Amino acid sequence: MEGFRKKNDKRMSLKDAIATFVKDGCVLAFGGFGGEQNTQAAYEIIRQKPQNLTVIGDSPSEQMDMLIGAGLVKKAEFAYCSYALAGLGHNLRRSVEKGIPIKVEVEEYSNYTMGLRYLAGAMNIPYMPTRSLLGSDLPTYNSKIIITVDPYERNPIALVPAVRPDVAIMHVNRCDQRGNVQMFGFTASNENLARAAKHTIITAEEIVPTEKIRQYSNLTVIPEFFVDAVAEIPFASHPWNMPYSYAYDIPFHRQQLKRFETREGFIKWLDEWVFGCPDHKAYCEKVGWHRLNALVTVERKFSPMIY
Amino acid sequence: MPNYANDYTLPELLAILASREIKDGETAFLGVGIPLLGGLLAQKTHAPNAIIAMESGSIGPQPKRLILGVGDNACIENASYCTSLWRLFSDQQNGAFDIGCISGAQVDKYGNLNSTCIFGNGDYWTPVSRLPGSGGANDIASSARRTVYIMPLQKRRFLERVDYITSCGYIDGPDTRMKFGLPGGGPEAIITNMCIFRFDKSTGEAYLDSVKEGVTPEEVRDNVSWNLKFAAEVKVIEPPTVEQIEILRKLDANRIFIGNGLANLSFENYIKYLNDMADQGDHTP
Repeated sequence: MEGFRKKNDKRMSLKDAIATFVKDGCVLAFGGFGGEQNTQAAYEIIRQKPQNLTVIGDSPSEQMDMLIGAGLVKKAEFAYCSYALAGLGHNLRRSVEKGIPIKVEVEEYSNYTMGLRYLAGAMNIPYMPTRSLLGSDLPTYNSKIIITVDPYERNPIALVPAVRPDVAIMHVNRCDQRGNVQMFGFTASNENLARAAKHTIITAEEIVPTEKIRQYSNLTVIPEFFVDAVAEIPFASHPWNMPYSYAYDIPFHRQQLKRFETREGFIKWLDEWVFGCPDHKAYCEKVGWHRLNALVTVERKFSPMIY
Repeated sequence: MPNYANDYTLPELLAILASREIKDGETAFLGVGIPLLGGLLAQKTHAPNAIIAMESGSIGPQPKRLILGVGDNACIENASYCTSLWRLFSDQQNGAFDIGCISGAQVDKYGNLNSTCIFGNGDYWTPVSRLPGSGGANDIASSARRTVYIMPLQKRRFLERVDYITSCGYIDGPDTRMKFGLPGGGPEAIITNMCIFRFDKSTGEAYLDSVKEGVTPEEVRDNVSWNLKFAAEVKVIEPPTVEQIEILRKLDANRIFIGNGLANLSFENYIKYLNDMADQGDHTP
């Protein structure tokens, strides 16, 4: 799949982008962090059912836990898999504790060292050294973490391997059709993940003209030559928040996670909210535009857009 | 004499005890919930120059509303710096964060924390209870200048040895942190619903420092799985003041962290709360 990164117009529907890049057995990584999430990309992947995925994230929620629950994941590399305030990663729990629906292989790191793995991938070097992980049981149960002696200062140091995923997917504030990405809040590790991946899919709240990007070039965190596809997907992070766009819909998320507590509740959620909605627009309609707009209106009061 | 509160919840007490650990001018790496409420309370009382750092890459937020997650929009509201996750953690590894606040399902006498899995009759690969995992806790325990833990006191949680060390305390005793190459100072205190433990740096062991009014040191020892040592003089914890409780109830108006407010929070009430805060909220500490 050559040539996508050289195109001048990378616009694609999310459906086509997932179908083009996310194949059976591929290594898939997600950006975002406790907000700026890839909920709608996860939903579309579940609709298309690619098999035997390796899923990578620092603190993934829907992107890892729901894909595990949907039976699509062979291996999970992560630091924290849960929905924080909304609830626990019940699908990860059922998979690891009881093999439901299938037993997933886990490879664990910390948030920082996942970030360093992306950085190593983005720098095209094989690993990064760190002072985290030392003395703990993460290296005991993860043979990819190497504890060694720093050749310069002769002190103990931990090494974590680079990540070079087949596909990285991340949700951002805005980009142009060429794939220049701008973010207004924290970036999580998006700038490194896009550079580490063989193919990068961007979903954006808004696709804007390139002139707009050039006006505030210091906001660009990913240049176009690391991007393969862009899709304008407003509310792709819902129920999570999106900085400068909409507030966190915690009442919705809490209800969602109550349903995930049982396997039956989770399967019903898939039927109703994933398979029952052909695309993200149908999802938004089901949530209700009035509700979504209320989240936008109040966020604009807290954080007016100045760009 | 301060005006002490008669009526307060357990989470309110824990937040107040956490706030007392944060000194003015310190940079504190805080998770959402009780630690963050403690940090915000510290800013509004004795530590107006404390800086809060959040995992997503946000430093110095001064939001008008309650922060609901480490990547919530409130983390970037009136922040002084927004960056990336790896940059923020690198600053920590570089010694920039004075205090970090973490929790776990199990802790042991050397202050090692487990938030990965409870083995039960199984093991790491097939545990009886799979927990979310380290997140940033391992990094905080490795590199923050000192750490404070908050967790409920229960015998099954306070162990001779945790099943799995997610986040290092003093590992096997004194000097082991240095031997393993950890830059941070290690745990300073464990705050619980009944008492506060602190650490004897010469042995690396947790000891009983102070108890909540009405709790005896023996009761605490009964809830710990190792032969707990007491301070020469076990103090009584200073109760919350009326002012502290008032601030906390204003910060968490829907009682999401200090009560059971999330269970019954309707969308209408939530949006009304956000609008009220946006219109009238105060973001100065």
